[in-house]
Amino acid sequence: MGKLTRRQLAQSALASATIAPWASFASSNGAGQASTIPSNNSSDTGVTDSEIVLGVSTAFKGPSRGLGIELYRGAVSYFAKVNDQGGVHGRRIVLKLRNDGYQPVPAVENSVKLIVDDKVFALFGYVGTPTVTRVLPVLKKFQDRDFLLFFPFTGAQPQRQPPYGEFAFNLRASYRQETAGLVDNLVAIGRNRIAVFYQADAYGRSGWAGVRAALREHNSRLVGEATYRRGEQYTAVMRQQVERLKKVNPDAVICIGAYAACAAFARDAIDAGLEIPIANLSFVGSENLLKKLTDEFGTESEKYSRWLVNSQVVPSYESLSMASVREYADLMTRYNPTPPAEFEQHDYLPFAKSFVSLEGFLNAKLMTEILTRAGPSPSRALLEDAVFSIQQYDLGIDEQVDFSPERRQGLDQVYYTIVEENRFVDLTDWQAKFA
Amino acid sequence: MKITRLFQRTMFGIFLMFLFIGVSTSVVSIYSVDLHLTAEYEENSRDIAKTIADASVDIILNRDLSSLQSLIDQFVEIQGISYIYIVSDTDEYLAHTFVPGIPESILESDRRVGETVTRNLAGMGDFVEVSSYILAGHVGSVHIGMDVSHVTLAIQKAIGNQIYLIAIIFFVGIFASIWFVSFAAKPVNSLLDYAVALAKRDDKGDSDLSRERILERNDEVGHLARLYQYFFTVADPQKLNRDQAADESK
Repeated sequence: MGKLTRRQLAQSALASATIAPWASFASSNGAGQASTIPSNNSSDTGVTDSEIVLGVSTAFKGPSRGLGIELYRGAVSYFAKVNDQGGVHGRRIVLKLRNDGYQPVPAVENSVKLIVDDKVFALFGYVGTPTVTRVLPVLKKFQDRDFLLFFPFTGAQPQRQPPYGEFAFNLRASYRQETAGLVDNLVAIGRNRIAVFYQADAYGRSGWAGVRAALREHNSRLVGEATYRRGEQYTAVMRQQVERLKKVNPDAVICIGAYAACAAFARDAIDAGLEIPIANLSFVGSENLLKKLTDEFGTESEKYSRWLVNSQVVPSYESLSMASVREYADLMTRYNPTPPAEFEQHDYLPFAKSFVSLEGFLNAKLMTEILTRAGPSPSRALLEDAVFSIQQYDLGIDEQVDFSPERRQGLDQVYYTIVEENRFVDLTDWQAKFA
Repeated sequence: MKITRLFQRTMFGIFLMFLFIGVSTSVVSIYSVDLHLTAEYEENSRDIAKTIADASVDIILNRDLSSLQSLIDQFVEIQGISYIYIVSDTDEYLAHTFVPGIPESILESDRRVGETVTRNLAGMGDFVEVSSYILAGHVGSVHIGMDVSHVTLAIQKAIGNQIYLIAIIFFVGIFASIWFVSFAAKPVNSLLDYAVALAKRDDKGDSDLSRERILERNDEVGHLARLYQYFFTVADPQKLNRDQAADESK
């Protein structure tokens, strides 16, 4: 089992050091491309006359880069529009970007740099439970500076409850809600023997605990479990995990992992004859998961994807009846944000639309609303009051958002999707699909 | 460099002595280092287990298990620790670091908290496992596995360094011994030459100078040389008379 070497630490430090200083969403030509420009006016508060700087540490590289990149692209599409329209109270929203590769130690180092060196206004759009879980104590350490983390891409509990809940605001539903929904629906159609395949870290444990708690509500318990190491590629062989789960003869498997490993598991499970519903949480990055299978199997990928059922915390990007989904589709088309130039990897092809980028878009939209409510002289100390003023707020997805000192999560809705014709669509009838 | 047979034996003795010292100190060191290093690793792991146990109480009772997993993930990054698992008082595995899952042999074993257990886990290797109760066992227990091969490697490194040092001392000692023995053998060889010369009635020996030097020595070789000379003169009174006559004529 792994240990951190001096080389790894040096590499992570190097990764941070090679990041260009400022990313800004300039759109003077209307293209809205994310570009990197140096900022001449910085401030201890992260706010200048012309900019509000938000700090982002996320996975722009590595096996889970698809999550960080898509979340970023979605957020950029909205911030670009805001900046095009003159910004918030005349200030452009600027993101200071750092790559953590979905690894906890770089995430902590990046956060300290964002707070101490970059002096950003707030932290925004982090990805992952193992990363965020480690970053929360950093926020506590610097609590005298009133730093808050907004809308991390994780449904884990640590940033939703004491002792660190007061340092973060969440938009998405929690893993508990996602896993409870999956378990309830599976049990409802008679699939009571539920096993879990999960990432051996805080994220996996969070989902594992959610499934376990949900099964208790049905007087049941997990029939089996298998784990994989964070950072596994799609090329990894998951036969050992599949064999462990096959032995317990499950009716369904709930996966708590990232897309590369979960796609590898689905592939090996179906190949081993484990033809049962394979559920994934929203964090998996549905489009990236499906792309892994379709890239390898082409038209035959249906054999592997037909058993997938993915929970989502945002509505489908094809639900164009919703105002924000329409706006998202419009802005993604108009700006078509590219991955940040500092981390551009030419072998990654962004998705035109995805659940992850839609979540990033909604995060940015709500963040903009909060910054607007923070007034023309925003301060970190008063930012929380601006958040708490969000009451019955219509985010444009048919679900209202509320925040209060007792409620630090904006949305509760969980959606379920399956694959049809190589794309994720809403699951309307569990019985017909999986009974 | 000529070494007398007598000193060749001494050399061989020195060699044997070094060999004995080297082997015996290595054996004692291996035993001692093994004992102390293993004990130290166990002690450290036991301390870590206790630290995790103390920190776990609040997490298990009040918080999400992802925090508990995050806690043990940080400790498993420490060199030498291979796995950690936490079991509840109802025998439920609350968090662990195993991939692809908890080994059957652990699932089936009787957990003896507080004792040191050696485990052979299929496909993983040999481990020494220590444990600690969480809240006196009312909440559960923490178990930490150390890779035996890691301890063995540390021992091998320590022993290797010692053998390396002994080997250097050995070879330096051998060359120093050869030099010292040769140095010590030189007057003996001169004495031998002198004795041979006396026996051949060649009272000049190698040379007058060397003869004077050996007779002037104030050590055992000098004493022996003078003794040989005395015996020679006692055994050859004619030469003594010749010498006396020569002295008188002067």
